[in-house]
Amino acid sequence: MTAVTNQTISQPLDRVDGPAKVTGRARYSAEIPLPGTVHAVLVGAVVPSGRTNTIQTGEAEQVPGVLAVLTHANLPKIAAQPRLFPSLFGHAAVGETFFPMQDDVVHYAGQPVAMVVADTLERAQHAAGLVHVSYHTAPSTTTLEQGRDRAYEPGRIFGGLLPGRMERGDPDSGLAKAPVHIDRTYRFAANHHNPIEPSSTTAVWEDDRLTLYDSTQGITATRLTVAELMGLPSSNVRVLTHYVGGGFGAKAMIWPHVALTAIAARYVGRPVKLALTREQMFSSCGHREEQEQHAVLGAGNEGRVTTLRHHKLSATSPFDDWAEPSLNVAAQAYSYPNYQGSYRLVRTNTMTPTFTRGPGEASGMFALESAMDELAYELGLDPIELRLRNHADADPLTGNPWSSKGLRECYQRGAERFGWRERNPAARSQRDGHWLIGSGTATAGYPVPAFPGLQPQRARARLYADGSAVLQAGTQEFGTGVATAMTQVAADGLGVPLDRVRFDYGDTELPNTAPAVGSAGSGMVSSAVHSAATSLRDQLVAQAVAQAVADSESPLHAADPSTVVVGDGRMMLRDRPETGETYSELLQRNGVEDAEALGSWQPTGMDTGYALTTFGAQFAEVAVDSDLGLVRVRRMVGAFAPGRVLNPKTARSQLMGGMLWGMSQALPEGTQMDSRMGRWANASLGEYLVPVNADAPEVDVEFVEVREDVANPLGVKGVGEIGQIGAAAAIANAVFHATGHRVRELPIRIEHLLRSA
Amino acid sequence: MEFLSPATWEEALAAKSAHPDAVPIMGGTDVMVELNFDQHRPSALLDLTRVAELAEWGPDGSRVRLGAGVSYTTIIQRLGKHAPALAQAARTVASPQIRNRGTVGGNLGGASPAGDSHPPLLAADAVIELASVHGVRHVAAREFYLGPRRTARRDDELIAAVLLPERAGPQHFCKIGTRNAMVIAVASFCVTLDAATRTAGTGIGSAGPTPLRAVAAEEFLTAEFDWQGAGPLSEAAVRHFGELVASAARPIDDVRGSADYRKHALSVMARRALSWSVTDYRKGEAQCA
Ligand SMILES: Cc1cc2nc3c(=O)[nH]c(=O)nc-3n(C[C@H](O)[C@H](O)[C@H](O)COP(=O)(O)OP(=O)(O)OC[C@H]3O[C@@H](n4cnc5c(N)ncnc54)[C@H](O)[C@@H]3O)c2cc1C
Repeated sequence: MTAVTNQTISQPLDRVDGPAKVTGRARYSAEIPLPGTVHAVLVGAVVPSGRTNTIQTGEAEQVPGVLAVLTHANLPKIAAQPRLFPSLFGHAAVGETFFPMQDDVVHYAGQPVAMVVADTLERAQHAAGLVHVSYHTAPSTTTLEQGRDRAYEPGRIFGGLLPGRMERGDPDSGLAKAPVHIDRTYRFAANHHNPIEPSSTTAVWEDDRLTLYDSTQGITATRLTVAELMGLPSSNVRVLTHYVGGGFGAKAMIWPHVALTAIAARYVGRPVKLALTREQMFSSCGHREEQEQHAVLGAGNEGRVTTLRHHKLSATSPFDDWAEPSLNVAAQAYSYPNYQGSYRLVRTNTMTPTFTRGPGEASGMFALESAMDELAYELGLDPIELRLRNHADADPLTGNPWSSKGLRECYQRGAERFGWRERNPAARSQRDGHWLIGSGTATAGYPVPAFPGLQPQRARARLYADGSAVLQAGTQEFGTGVATAMTQVAADGLGVPLDRVRFDYGDTELPNTAPAVGSAGSGMVSSAVHSAATSLRDQLVAQAVAQAVADSESPLHAADPSTVVVGDGRMMLRDRPETGETYSELLQRNGVEDAEALGSWQPTGMDTGYALTTFGAQFAEVAVDSDLGLVRVRRMVGAFAPGRVLNPKTARSQLMGGMLWGMSQALPEGTQMDSRMGRWANASLGEYLVPVNADAPEVDVEFVEVREDVANPLGVKGVGEIGQIGAAAAIANAVFHATGHRVRELPIRIEHLLRSA
Repeated sequence: MEFLSPATWEEALAAKSAHPDAVPIMGGTDVMVELNFDQHRPSALLDLTRVAELAEWGPDGSRVRLGAGVSYTTIIQRLGKHAPALAQAARTVASPQIRNRGTVGGNLGGASPAGDSHPPLLAADAVIELASVHGVRHVAAREFYLGPRRTARRDDELIAAVLLPERAGPQHFCKIGTRNAMVIAVASFCVTLDAATRTAGTGIGSAGPTPLRAVAAEEFLTAEFDWQGAGPLSEAAVRHFGELVASAARPIDDVRGSADYRKHALSVMARRALSWSVTDYRKGEAQCA
């Protein structure tokens, strides 16, 4: 293997798209000017259950500029309904198996019942307000409370990927024998993602070929889903997406509005743009479901946890068995020999819930890590000591060794940075004016996606005779810094300077990669890019040293390729760097304008003999005004072991953002269902509260280095979500330490803490 | 929709008289939200941003005259000494962008019970200057708020300015929100101690159909406080003050908070604001924001 002398990976490079973004040059999907584009506006059902009775479209049709008012009566039917399967796997990936406007049934409030297309957005909006819909309303269930007695145990959840029940050891006798029990129920409000860019799609037809400009986390998922829904050959659908203004899971699956836009565009024979409003984002792209988790820990007096029983009850839609996988990481977090987990569901009149950052891990680890904290107090043990006593040296699920772990170092380094040892362990022991001060910790864990059936990851590398290079992969930049990190991977793989490489992405005509979901983006795409870049490098070195070809003028002619290194676009002998030539010299001498290679990498399956999970440790300090019930997070420290860090600057931002999401999950964020109306009660950013700068504490991110050889060629485990996991539990644990009052419900509200006064 | 854009105050008053339905627009931070949500479609908008004197402020006899169009940012930067509670309140409004545009005149024009400038204006006994083609009237803030979003301003009148009495003692404003910024008050409270008149003032926000005063609490404090020697108040007196403030509120349950919580929070804020004020008073260095 040829070595590379320059190293840009692991450098804190500025974002390559930074200037375009801060100057407004970067165009997001809805901002791309396409001549002749007209505008679609959706009309959502105002009742949660029943049927539409009449839909009067006459008045709307009279509005000047209106091109069509579509309802179930005239909307062309879909060709097929794809099954629900996580987009990570690279197939068609609908967010729910219900497609609206096929008949008159209403399953949830906000479900599209009509769509208006007009020449301007304002006219379409105005006309949408003139579509008069009457309903036969049926009784609805929209909360867990209303449907609790109709809960059922699904065979499988999560698109059929995971079993509804898991067990190992003997949980019943484990609990019976354990002298110490923690038996608690934790409740979670629903969450909505609220990326700053609401979803939008523009559909342009040319004969039977469709181009979509879609704000999606996976262009291929959009392509395959729309092709299947509309009965088109996949090759006839092209998706272009360069910049995405955040997704957090809202754009991980493909929701009905995307195909509806394509159908409308075909219907009116013009390019159609649909941009969801902020309010529509609350009933168009899924959500984290309302849920309840019952965790029972059985432990010995010295703190060894022998059993975890972890049951979840959650709300799903009328048509899909969806639960975010809250139990998995918790099941692997410690070395309990006995374990039982189960999911139960309640069918409610909402859309199908979906991935929301830390999908499952964020809620499951809140329950587990809150319970662990209770156990620590119960036994009078330091919370970190308790966790160390239960450290899983191997994966408790399979017995396999971890590919890499680093959790002990995370506790240690995080505790040092936080000053954990200086803390008075007694609850309610610290005060600062009218603020009670406390600190808490929690473990973070997030799986590295390794499943059978993942698609090969591909990229193309091309080097021009002038020494410039382009690397291409069908991914999209949704703010994570992937374009920057991939430029670094490309430069290192090829052995050329950073400023000679461009990373080209955002188009389904480019080689296929997985969507940016499940913290998998950088691991998957970097493997493809690395493979393409090194293939091209090896191909050029092979050409330089080759003896059999016409060109024998290379200074490297007949050299052993394993003695050749590359750097700064030049191939040379490791021991005699003065002997060598640049890629450009080689190509130009041969009269060749460019050289190209395709790279392909098959993602890791489950047969590696290793368990792949990313770990970390969270610390938080809070101040609680118990007279007023207010919580302020003063500082957070997170130590994480995510394997190879491609770019510490963008990775740190990801982790910091994750930790702030955790704070948000703990304190302000929650969607409230108005069960009388069957609608989300706070569907706006004025009422769905996310933290503002003034709420953001000092956030300190520490990287713990671990060597990762299994996950993928560069050892990248991912940083997209691990930052959030455990953060809410660390905060709730800190609230307990501050006040002596345990809150087992998220978000933590004023009323919970008034009781602690 | 007509767009009236007078260049002078006289033209503005004439326009308002000719179009009493016209909706004045200053910073637009309330008006534009309502237009965007299509809450109503006024026949005319009356743009006041070109009327230079609305954005001016300065001494006016013993008082400070604050033009209706002075932004919160300016209030924070310039009025900390003259009107500390108003400046404290301004600091809690929204975000820098909104504070650059939003004005006290606009807050008074909308007269939301949650508006942050109202409690300081009530507590400090400010006066609202209203003007029309028929002349100028002065209405005490304490007489200005009549009902839910209803004020003493007549349809043909514009708000010209707010007159702030010279400060003669400590003032404190507190606000509770569901986060640290960009938040409408769950409840807010202001207290003033005026050494010159030896009276206490109060203002309550977000806890009734209009901004409110706690008159009984003011009377109690005016009588109870040791204006001469500035001796500390007993814990019982502070608590009683808090209870009187809470009992003056007429809150409702809504998404931001329950009625009970609002009352409770008011009593806590009242106790704290009073304790800070008494400490300031005793130090004799009437506290600035
Ligand atoms: C994101 C956001 C956050 C906000 N946060 C807060 C907050 O924390 N606290 C708070 O109190 N408010 C808040 N507001 C509301 C708003 O910013 C304030 O009420 C502000 O004081 C309005 O001032 P303005 O100059 O922008 O008023 P405008 O929008 O121009 O006008 C508001 C009302 O007053 C009338 N008006 C304006 N000037 C005059 C005049 N000279 N004479 C007669 N009538 C007049 C208008 O017709 C209208 O009815 C927020 C608004 C937004 C959009």
